[in-house]
Formats: sequence, structure tokens, C-alpha cells
Amino acid sequence: MKKRKFSATQLFLALFFLVTVILPVLTMFSNLVSADIGKIITDKQFGIAALHSLKVSATATLISITLAFLLAWCMTRTNIKGKGLFGAIILLPMLIPSISHGMGLIILFGQNGQLTNLFGLNSSIYGFWGIVIGSVMYSLPVAYLMISDILRYEDSTPYEAASVLGVPKINRLCSITFPYIRKPMISVLFATFTLIITDYGVPVMVGGKYNTLPLMMYNEVIGRLNFANGSVIGMVLLVPAVIAFIFDFISRDTHSASFVPKPFALKKSIVRDALSYFILIITSITLIYPIITFAGLAFNTKYPSDLSFTLKHVLNTMEKGAGHYLINSIIIAFAVSILGVCIAFACAYFTARIGGLSAKLLHLMSILSLAIPGLVLGLSYVLFFKKSFMADTLIILIVVNTIHFFASPYLMIYNSLGKLNANLEDVGLTLGIRRLHIIKDVIIPQSKLTLIEMFTYFFVNSMITISAVSFLAVTLTKPLSLLITQFQHLMLLEASAFVSILILAVNLIIKGLALILRHIILRKENTYYVNKKTV
Amino acid sequence: MDSLKVIDISKKFGEKYALNKVSFEVKPGEFLSILGPSGCGKTTLLRILIGLLAPSSGELYMDGKNITHAAPDKRGMGIVFQNYALFENMTVLRNVEYALKLKKETKASARETALRMIDIVGLKEHINKKPAQLSGGQMQRVAIARTLALSPEIILFDEPMSALDVATRLTLRKELKRIQATTGTTMIYITHDQEEAFAMSDRIMVMNESVIHQLDTPENIIQNPVDEFVREFVIHNLAEKTASLARFNLG
Repeated sequence: MKKRKFSATQLFLALFFLVTVILPVLTMFSNLVSADIGKIITDKQFGIAALHSLKVSATATLISITLAFLLAWCMTRTNIKGKGLFGAIILLPMLIPSISHGMGLIILFGQNGQLTNLFGLNSSIYGFWGIVIGSVMYSLPVAYLMISDILRYEDSTPYEAASVLGVPKINRLCSITFPYIRKPMISVLFATFTLIITDYGVPVMVGGKYNTLPLMMYNEVIGRLNFANGSVIGMVLLVPAVIAFIFDFISRDTHSASFVPKPFALKKSIVRDALSYFILIITSITLIYPIITFAGLAFNTKYPSDLSFTLKHVLNTMEKGAGHYLINSIIIAFAVSILGVCIAFACAYFTARIGGLSAKLLHLMSILSLAIPGLVLGLSYVLFFKKSFMADTLIILIVVNTIHFFASPYLMIYNSLGKLNANLEDVGLTLGIRRLHIIKDVIIPQSKLTLIEMFTYFFVNSMITISAVSFLAVTLTKPLSLLITQFQHLMLLEASAFVSILILAVNLIIKGLALILRHIILRKENTYYVNKKTV
Repeated sequence: MDSLKVIDISKKFGEKYALNKVSFEVKPGEFLSILGPSGCGKTTLLRILIGLLAPSSGELYMDGKNITHAAPDKRGMGIVFQNYALFENMTVLRNVEYALKLKKETKASARETALRMIDIVGLKEHINKKPAQLSGGQMQRVAIARTLALSPEIILFDEPMSALDVATRLTLRKELKRIQATTGTTMIYITHDQEEAFAMSDRIMVMNESVIHQLDTPENIIQNPVDEFVREFVIHNLAEKTASLARFNLG
């Protein structure tokens, strides 16, 4: 009986992924049949866009990773103060859409941009460098998060041994550091590259005439309703994502999760710490400045010449329906978070705690979304669901975002469930405690912090995403983030700045709430320990 | 009447036998150790006894009743694992009374039973602590109390002391015998530690490569080992361990 119930859940999950991932993507592939692939790929415009995409993404990836490494190193290998604050600032850009980063560049460096006027710059931000800078700002926090994880889990023991043996520093770099970070860094490289090459938010803003593949795909689908051409480009964009996925898959789980690295004993070094402060402060200013500008545009009469406070722009934006779209966004984000957390938990329960062949397949399905860029997923959904009841409703936006952001939260709960005692269910069976009770009373209470983290991940990403939803949203269901392009086209700078601030504010509130909840949970456990220990 | 009868139990994983026609009986109130090197099939046997694993062939009888395919909680047995498997989010008291409450016992009677069991294992002062605040030995006692609470006829122990330090092991050994004297529960105890088996057991079952080599009292095994394996694995190692333990005690 119990077994049957669980295989029913498993069957449901398999069907869920079949309908939400496999079939849509296959539909997109089947679209290729009607497309003249050869003609599209050999087309001159396509060639140019592909070359542009490669050049921009390669440049931005290298800059982003180098900067991210520098920042991560400053945060993990120095004795500086205020790491919490710096860390929060570096991650701040993750809370606004990529499109906002593009907009920030226009406001600051555009033809009539503030810094353009201030410094009398005459080179244009539109084109190659605009996209590169925007992409770096947008991908930096992601790369930083991944790299600081790598550095945080590096073991100091080999360095201590080397130092005892008198191995020169330069040799230590070659024989200890590089071999350790090589594999994970290649993973980061691919992931960052994929993130950048599949994004259209930055190029749509500051690309100008500099066409890239996502931009071309967007224009083919939205502008010309040419789904066949869109599918071909989508397929091309799948390539780097699939390579990144395979690479990540291979290099994951190489070291055991229970391994506790010995932390680095940091020597005193004024030069090193001063340099770190310098790098972190410059970066922080660069990252915060556009956000301050958004706030200025939204709340000042005429930023930067007239700084008097006004709600004129805010009311104006609300009049244009921002409130309605904000509600859309919040509904979508909440629904995605709840649906996503539930399904990810159910999947991870099977894959981490039951196992078997079907669990392995389910695991693969769960992380497959890492290999599908948002634009490709969006187009697949357009093609597969266009005649279903879900078309043009909020439901399709909720489902597409759940799938698009599924892999990371899934892996969070997968790792945390895998760490719980393997015999819990067995003990339950022998004591006559049903599995569902063990899940409800033992496993979920021990996974609370992870569940909160998953919820915020789904929520924040649903608030900022513009990729998958851009093909699927209609006037009524449009999320707030898509309003930025619309206002930008209408030259409503203040309105699009306010929308960016609005998204940031909602995300900050959610992050803040999550933080408070986390504190409460931890404190409850800690005071518990303290009280009982003194008794 | 024998409380547990194991008849020709075999378990195959693929083509390989983990257990090959294992038969024995366990008497009520007995302390039986199953002793063997890792991979000999002892843990597989334990999981089959409690019902977490189905045998490929063979039968199990409890007080004359066929329990070969009974659910794990319908066999009158409990199990204590090496890694405790406590409910980390619950206090000691809740760990012990949780299963009782789910069995629709009244709150008061569940609490009363739980407190009695916690008292038996000697953790009265710790009822409101969570597992993370306890030592390994204390956690294992909670696991024992949790199992005892459902008053099983037999408790199975799956190498319960392997994760503990030597001193704790010695104390817990005595405790376990005392608990058995108090409750009269039959105990089947898996170990690869010869010294442990000999110090605690009424009878010892020596296993290797999926079969039973010898099942007898400690004295008889020492006096009449049936074959080379028992001589090598049990007696030789035992002599060495007792010698080193003597040194430990002196130190």
C-alpha cells in the first residue's frame, strides 16, 4: 500500500516533467523540420550575430570571472572588516533584472547620459562595450557566489605542508592552487558564459545596432512571428548551455559533502588588506551608483539638476498600470515559490532518500533545466502550449518560471536531505511511524532553513526574469520586469527607473523577511541550547 | 517455546548469496551475539529479521506464528542502529513518546511510558535536551529507550557501539545487560568485536561468507572451535584484544 502511494507520486513527477520540459523542448525541435536550417545558419545576419555573441560573451566572461575571483579572494583570504556589508552589496545586482543594468548604463553613459555630460565623453555606450559592461554587472554576483564557494571550501592543509617544506610561493600556486581550482573554475567559466550569451536584457538596451543571437531570436519570435527561425537560434543557444551542464555534471560531487576543510590562518598584512578595501569599495560604488541613480530619477523632480523630492513620477508610473503589473509579478513569484518548493522537495525526497534507477532519472530531469536557456524554454512553451487552456494565463508564466529556476533550489534540498540520517525511515517503519509522519514531523522541521532559502531563490528570480516570460506574457498577465523595456521604448526613463526600484524593493523585503525568519529559527534553537545547558 | 525461529533463510543479491540457508533459534530473554567480519551477511540477516528486507527464500516464526512477510512494526521487534537515527529536532522525551502518541495512546499514558523508559536507560536529567546536546553514549541510550517504549519481545542491535569510544563502550555494555535484566527483553546483538561478544552474550553465532560457522555459548566456542575460521577470527583475535584491553585498563 505504502509503496504504491509513493510510486504514484513518482509517476506524477515523471508526468510533470514530461509535460513541462521534455514535450515542449521536443516541440521546438520538431519545428526545426519546417525550417531551412542550412539557409538560416549560413545567412550573413546570423553569422554576424553569432560572431558578436561569441565576442561579447567571451570578453564579458573573462572580465566577470577575473573580477569575481578578485572579490571572492578579498572576501575569503583577508582580515578586512565589514565583509557582511560588502557581500550584501556585491549580491545586490542579483535583485534587479538584467535589463535594468542596461538601462543604468544608458542613463549614465547614453547620448544624454549624466556621466557623458559630466565628463564630456563622446564615445558611445551602445554596442560592444555597452553589452560587455552591462553583462559583467549582471553576471558578476553569480560568478562571485560560485567562486567564493570554491575558495571557502579550499583546504589549507596542503599550503601549511608546503610552507613547512619551504616550497616557494610561486610553486605552491602551480602545484596546489591551480590543480584544486581548475575543475570548478571551468564549471564557473561555462556557467557564466552561458548566462551571458543567452541573455537578451542587456543587448536589447545598449546593443544599438550590435545584434546578438538572443536579440535576433527575440526579434524573430516577437517581431516577425517566425517561430522556425527562432527555433534554429534557440537550438544554437542550447549548445553552450548543454556543454556547461555536462561539465558541471561531471565535476560535481567529486569531493565528499562531509569533508570539513581546515580554514586558512590569515597572517597580518596591511598592504593586502588595504588593497582589498580599495577593490571592494570601488566595486561597491560602481554597483550601487546605478541604483542610486534609479532612485534619483524616480523620486527627484529632475535628476540630477533638480533634486527636490516628488511623487510625480511614481504616480505617473502607477497610472500607467504599474500597480497591476506589480500584483501580477507578486502573484507569479509567490506561486512559483510555493509550487517550486513543493515539487523540488518531493523530487529530492525520492532522489536523496529512496534511490534506485527511477530516482536517478528523476535527478537528471530535475537538474536538466540548467541546460535550457530561458529564451529557449519560453519559445518551447509558446509552441507546445499555444492551444492549451494555459495559454495567455498566469498559469503558464508560473509553470515556466518554476521549471526555469528549478535546478538550484532542487540541489539545495537534495544536498540537505542527503545529509540527514539514512535510517530515519527505517526506524519509523519498525516503530510503526508512517513515512509521511516522518517527513512531516522529522524531515521538514530539520530542513526549514533550506526551504526558506529555496523559497527566496524562486521568488527573487521570478521577480527579475525577463527571458522565458517575454514570449508568453500578454497585456493582462505581463510581469513588472517586462515593463522596463516598454517604458524605455517610450523614453519614459523615470518610469522604468521606478519599476526597477520597485522590483528591488520587493526583493529586498522578501530577502529581509527570510533573514529575520532564519534568525528567529536559529535563535530559538540556540536559546534552547543555552537555557538547557545551564540547567 | 522458542521466541524466534529462523528456517533456511537465504538472500541473493544478483548471483551472489548474502545469506545461504541460515537457520537458528533464539530463546526468550536470551542475549545472542552475531559475530563476523564485515561483509559476512550479519547486517543483511538483521534487516531480514526486522522486515526491512525480504528474504529470497526461507521462513521466520515468532512464537509459532509465521512472520516472514509481516510488516516491520508487526513483528514484536525493535532495532537500534549504529548511527542512532534519532529525531534531531525533538527532545529526548519527544523522541521516546512520539511513536506511542501516533499509536493513539492517550497523552498521559504515552508520557508515563516514555518517562519510565528514559528512567530505565538512566537519562532522567536529560529529558528536555535535544540529541545535539548529548554525548554519543547518551544518544544511543535514547535510541534504546525509544525502542523499549513499544515493549518489543526482541531488540536487534546493529553494531550499536562502533561509533563510541572505548570507555563509553564499557559502561554501555554493563548498562545494556542491566536493562535486559530489568525488562527481560530478548536481545540480538550484531558486532565484529570479539571481545564485546564474549563479554555480553549468552550465546554467540559466528558467521562468515553468508553462513553460520558455529552457534554456541562463549565457553564452548573457546573450548571447542568447530573450524579454522572460528579459531583464527574468534579466538586468536580475542586473545590479542584482551591483552591490549588489559594494558588499557592498567594505563
